[in-house]
Amino acid sequence: MPAGVDNLERLEEEACREIAAAASLQALTEVRARYLGKKGSVAEVLRGIGDLAGDQRARIGQLANSAKRRIEMVVSERRRALERGQRDRTLGAERLDITLPGAEEPRAGHLHPVTRVFRDMVEFFTSMGFSIEEGPEVETEYHSFEALNIPKLHPARDEQDTFYVEGGNALRPHTSNVQIRTMTGRTPPFRFIAPGRVYRHDLSPRHYPMFHQIEGFLVDERVTFADLKGVLHAFGRHLMSDDIELRFRANHFPFTEPSAEMDYGCLLCERKGCGICSNSGWIEWGGCGMIHPQVLENCGIDPDRYQGFAFGMGVDRTALLRYGIPDIRLLFEGDLRVLEQV
Amino acid sequence: MRASLQWLAEFIDLPAEANLVERLTLGGFEDVEITATGPDLSEIRVGRVRECTQHPNADRLSVCKVEFGDGEPVEVVCGAPNVAADQKIAFAAVGTKLPDGTVLKRAKIRGVVSSGMICSSRELELGDDHDGILVLDPDAPLGAPLPEVISGSDRELEVGITPNRGDAASLIGLAREIRALFGGDLRAPETDPPETGPAAADAIRVEIEATDDCYRYVARIVRGVRAGPSPGWLVAKLAASGIRSINNVVDVTNLVLLEFGQPLHAFDLAKLRGGTIKVRRAVAGEKLATLDGEARELSAEDLVIADSERAIALAGVMGGANTEVGDATTDVLIESAHFHPGRVRLAAKRYGIQTEASYRFERGVDRLGVQRAADRAARLIAELAGGEVATGSVVAKGAAPTVTEEIRFPTDRANKLLGTALSKQEMAALLERVGVRCASSDADELVCAIPSHRIDLQLHQDLTEEVARIYGYDRIPVTEPMGLLRGVERPRLWRMAECSRDALVAAGLIECQTLPFLNADWLAALQLDADDPRGRAVRLINPIREEEPLLRTTLLPSILRLVQQNRSRQLGRIEVFELARLFRADGAPSRWGPSLPEESLGLAAAIAEREERGLWEAPTLLPLFFKLKGIAKKLLDQLGYVAWFPSASLPPYLHPGAAAAIEVGGVVVGSIGELHPDVASAFGLDVGCAVMELDLEGLVVLPQQQVRFHKVSRQPSVRRDLAVVVDVEQPAGEVIEAIRKTGGKDLISVELFDRYAGKGIAKGRTSLAFRLVFQRYDRTLRDEEVTKTTDRIVKMLAHRFKGELR
Repeated sequence: MPAGVDNLERLEEEACREIAAAASLQALTEVRARYLGKKGSVAEVLRGIGDLAGDQRARIGQLANSAKRRIEMVVSERRRALERGQRDRTLGAERLDITLPGAEEPRAGHLHPVTRVFRDMVEFFTSMGFSIEEGPEVETEYHSFEALNIPKLHPARDEQDTFYVEGGNALRPHTSNVQIRTMTGRTPPFRFIAPGRVYRHDLSPRHYPMFHQIEGFLVDERVTFADLKGVLHAFGRHLMSDDIELRFRANHFPFTEPSAEMDYGCLLCERKGCGICSNSGWIEWGGCGMIHPQVLENCGIDPDRYQGFAFGMGVDRTALLRYGIPDIRLLFEGDLRVLEQV
Repeated sequence: MRASLQWLAEFIDLPAEANLVERLTLGGFEDVEITATGPDLSEIRVGRVRECTQHPNADRLSVCKVEFGDGEPVEVVCGAPNVAADQKIAFAAVGTKLPDGTVLKRAKIRGVVSSGMICSSRELELGDDHDGILVLDPDAPLGAPLPEVISGSDRELEVGITPNRGDAASLIGLAREIRALFGGDLRAPETDPPETGPAAADAIRVEIEATDDCYRYVARIVRGVRAGPSPGWLVAKLAASGIRSINNVVDVTNLVLLEFGQPLHAFDLAKLRGGTIKVRRAVAGEKLATLDGEARELSAEDLVIADSERAIALAGVMGGANTEVGDATTDVLIESAHFHPGRVRLAAKRYGIQTEASYRFERGVDRLGVQRAADRAARLIAELAGGEVATGSVVAKGAAPTVTEEIRFPTDRANKLLGTALSKQEMAALLERVGVRCASSDADELVCAIPSHRIDLQLHQDLTEEVARIYGYDRIPVTEPMGLLRGVERPRLWRMAECSRDALVAAGLIECQTLPFLNADWLAALQLDADDPRGRAVRLINPIREEEPLLRTTLLPSILRLVQQNRSRQLGRIEVFELARLFRADGAPSRWGPSLPEESLGLAAAIAEREERGLWEAPTLLPLFFKLKGIAKKLLDQLGYVAWFPSASLPPYLHPGAAAAIEVGGVVVGSIGELHPDVASAFGLDVGCAVMELDLEGLVVLPQQQVRFHKVSRQPSVRRDLAVVVDVEQPAGEVIEAIRKTGGKDLISVELFDRYAGKGIAKGRTSLAFRLVFQRYDRTLRDEEVTKTTDRIVKMLAHRFKGELR
């Protein structure tokens, strides 16, 4: 075994030790030069093999070259480690106090809860092909009452319920005026919704003089009460929950026949009864029915040919329940601490 | 309508309570409820004596092991002689509140711990029997609340009746309804009176003058009555329905009203003058002291009952004091009549009184039930107050009301309306249950005879509802409608409103909704010009607050008050907007009709100066005007309009030096600006506040800017910064415009990035710093070209604006 072989192995070991100990890129460069440079130790070994026999020379030369490659590899590994360490130190120095609050600009604004619920409702009905119709908020008695088959001496006409304005008109107590205005002079089939603001002369913890309704109408030659149930079931699922339960109760409205009130099963207590549903398990949702033939006739539609359904419900209560707001007044008193929660 | 369940059971066999409540609720009655009238026994439960052994230390006591549903059986000491194993008993566990209000505690009786009590009926306040415990039916369900299993404590049924169903506002009416829903047989009370006295017609004449207002008037006479207290059962029945006992005569009239739904009135015959009853309109100004102690001045619209001299009752509403039945009364005239519903309602409304009578007349009573009720009352008065019933009644007839006696009911159309497939026989059976008699005509039609009490049944659709109601709405299938598929276009204004909301929310504003009511002072505080249409507002006749009788013509007062209120809540950041209808009262033509005020959709936004609450890095402080101008520009941009902000047509409530109009295509569509200090102080604002108003309706008719692609350049751009000192009064907008013009088409952007006055700048002067960007599409610009243009700009600035380079 020629002396050079031992020598090379020792050299390689030493080099690896020194490379591992190099604490900086600078030190690493120096170590590399010492072993692999033109005047480095490996070169020195190679220079010394000229005296050896041919086959020995070739062998030692081979060994020296592979030692060189291995050292080169260890050096570049060490270089990468040192570079990584240096970047980590730099990044560490750039560390932010991430517990400081985020920038407030731009701060997000907030839609009113009623707007949000309205959008949800309108989205559903427009997707079903209902158009959006609007009407005036100050309305004639004809459009608010008479045309809807509410005779002059009906309890709904009582002054305590309606805001009258000078000149005999009134703030609409429901959005049904839109039904009359939209149907008059048009020929079915049509389907539309009337979302809007309505007013009742009532101020108590459960009532506010202003609130919101959405009504919907579908008139065609064959529209049934069963269809009405179908649309409202689909709407309930969209608006509230896939598991929503609906209940239709007979009731009376002058503008529908048959008429129904609908309730939905309380989602909070799953119909077991709680404070929200007054222990009944059901929450009143709105009124509905098949449009009264007199109303169709008042709008110039032949009730022997066409029939249709109508439904209406409050928007505000849905907003209150959806966001857990306990009192309708909180929606309209403009306290930003309330409105920015939604 | 409220009634004792026990009483109702006299008319028809009742189903289980829970069933009754549910079916009535689904069948069209509102807020149906059964409540206990007696002691509250809801905490007392049905228990069972499992074992009963002799008390080790007392001969007369037993020790019982009692189970009561949930929980472990407990040991109870009982002193009753009748207690025995296997009995179902009324059990009060420890912690139960007893009817006398005490809460039961655990007790040691002669050395044995007793954890509860087996109750006697006296302890439950159901009776006086204290000799032994109350032993319940062996089938009573273990653990059930006591009220569910005993009939001793009376329970009341309360139902809300819809305005069309006046016929249900009586015991017989409710019983009919229960029969319709559950089946069973009606038991109507006896009506025939023992007619032993002389003919009634000899004592009294009845004339109906107002024949349109009164269809039928039946008078019966009972002589020699002793008016006095009513028996306990009568008092109790009335009390259960919320009627106070007066005396046996009056109480009978009320009892019959509750039984049949036919209001009655009793007059003291001796006080009646001229032996005559007249049904006539009141003479305007005529006086009547009603039984409630009010002296009323009548109108010619009122229908009264009169004797030969004066009004003695407000027909269908309330009797008069002048003919009141009292202790001294011996002879009684009983009135049973059918008055026009509208006539009664008008009077009840005018005088603000609703009585049991007016309530029923307004909803319409059974036109064929008038005689029956008079008979029943005469019979009962004779029975309870003594006296002799005069032979026969005096009956007067007016014009018959329009009634529907028969409806031809197309069963195929009923199925078509409901979406059901009920057979004609099934429908007939359902209708028979509500008392509608059906005969078959052709294949798809039933000829239906309408019972006289159901005046609400007028159209075949009404019968369809009856079919559905009795069949059950819940059994109608759930289907999806079929029809033409048609695209839906949202109205342009709707879309614009929605887009505005999104744009403003994106800018950090909070949407509010407020009442539309205005105080005249708030409107005045805006200092509007005399000819400003917003100065005149629609006035409410019955405002919710007297001081806010106007409908808003502008959103400003609402939004400024909102800002102020949030300031007083000590909020540091108030940036809000509202969209709502505005109402004009200046006679402007309305799209909704000639008699209506024009309404338009208004938008207003407000931002108040922000309190810098300990931010760890301060944001730049820009005057409010510019913040809002930025928001306005972005908003209009989103809506598809290019807006200009000239300082013309400024509303008087804005700061004249910090406001601008919003102009689109030469049309003023709104304004922005800081609030005039006088207006700010009128609204109690202690911080700066800028507002924006936008007339969306004015905007929506203007053509929107089409979004068009313009090509982008691949050539490098050249940037030059330029600071120029000009007069402080010099509007920067003009300078920018002039630079843009001078720069030509290669100048693609001019941006003002700094504005500075102070050290190094002469007094009355200000430095404006611009960043100019040059670029061409076809080639790279040469430096010399750019320099040449900038020189031209500098020269222009010096010439036109006395601008000096800095």
